[in-house]
Amino acid sequence: MENGPTLAEALIQMGKFIGAGICMGAGAIGPGIGEGHVGDGAMQAMARQPELIGVLTTRMLLSQAVCETTGLYSLLISILMLFVL
Amino acid sequence: MKLSLDRRTKILLIVFLVIYVVVGVLNAIYLSKQSMSEAFKNVANRWVVKLPFGEGIFSRINPLTIFMTWGIMLIIIVIALSFRKPQIIPDRKQSALESLMDFVYQMVEDAIPDQRFVRPTFYLACTLFIFIVFSNILGGAIPGISVEANAQGNVEKIYLFSDTWFSPTADINTNAFLAVFVFVISQVFAIKSKGFKAWAKSWFEPIPLMFPMNVIGELSKPISHSLRLFGNIAGGALLTYLLAYMAKYFFLPVILWGFFGLFVGVIQALVFTVLAIAYISSALS
Repeated sequence: MENGPTLAEALIQMGKFIGAGICMGAGAIGPGIGEGHVGDGAMQAMARQPELIGVLTTRMLLSQAVCETTGLYSLLISILMLFVL
Repeated sequence: MKLSLDRRTKILLIVFLVIYVVVGVLNAIYLSKQSMSEAFKNVANRWVVKLPFGEGIFSRINPLTIFMTWGIMLIIIVIALSFRKPQIIPDRKQSALESLMDFVYQMVEDAIPDQRFVRPTFYLACTLFIFIVFSNILGGAIPGISVEANAQGNVEKIYLFSDTWFSPTADINTNAFLAVFVFVISQVFAIKSKGFKAWAKSWFEPIPLMFPMNVIGELSKPISHSLRLFGNIAGGALLTYLLAYMAKYFFLPVILWGFFGLFVGVIQALVFTVLAIAYISSALS
């Protein structure tokens, strides 16, 4: 056991990995639900008015990109946790 | 669709592809020998230079951001100079640019309630969109020279063509500047449009008790506005680097660059522009 990590180092590593996992996993819930709602609404609108597909697709992608932001924050934080801390 | 290239473009394209493949193979041989923790040790550090004058945070600059910003400005100026004489019958490039500006102008005209501010807002929105699109695509889709720094901010290694160029929008300072700029302009437009008294009164609506809420609501706009762009572009760059390492640079990560640079980059530039227009119009109404 001389060359192995001490208990404190092992605990720090464990905390990093668990924290990064929880951060990414919990942070993916919100954007998932939000983008699902946006896609749902856009699909229904497209089914009702197929002639507006071009406009609706642009707007749908735009609002999905806005929804995605919080997910990307958590991605950034979990990557920083893993590689920087 | 038939693609027709002239001789010069073909030679340039072939030279670029040969350099790209040779450097990619060299990178694959050399860089995939690094262990993972060694490759990602410095992934979040930035090259920082201390200026001889000034103090505190105002004397520290990131030279890469400044070089890339000036480079993008030069590219845009060159493109703008080549359109000094618009033709009545537009050629391919001119009609592409015209349709882009028409798209932005339609959005501005629909959103801004006051007719006097349609043209200034259009200039602002178009400038933002073109600058951010260029920097996002440069930072996400085009292989270039990247610098690795250690924790103190000194240069440790310079990589050729293994990573993308550093995008100015992957630095929070650029985004924060753009967002604060939009915020200040929206307030100035509101004062000009409504008069100072009505503008000051709009902070105390609907009841004077809501004043702190209004202040927080206005101040949180530039923060979320800048962090959204920063998170997308910096996260995309990190993820591209990570996945390219995991694939051992084997297939030259063109696909990743296509997704994170072109798709996400253009969408985020559009989002930034649309939100800038929306903030200005909400300040005006």
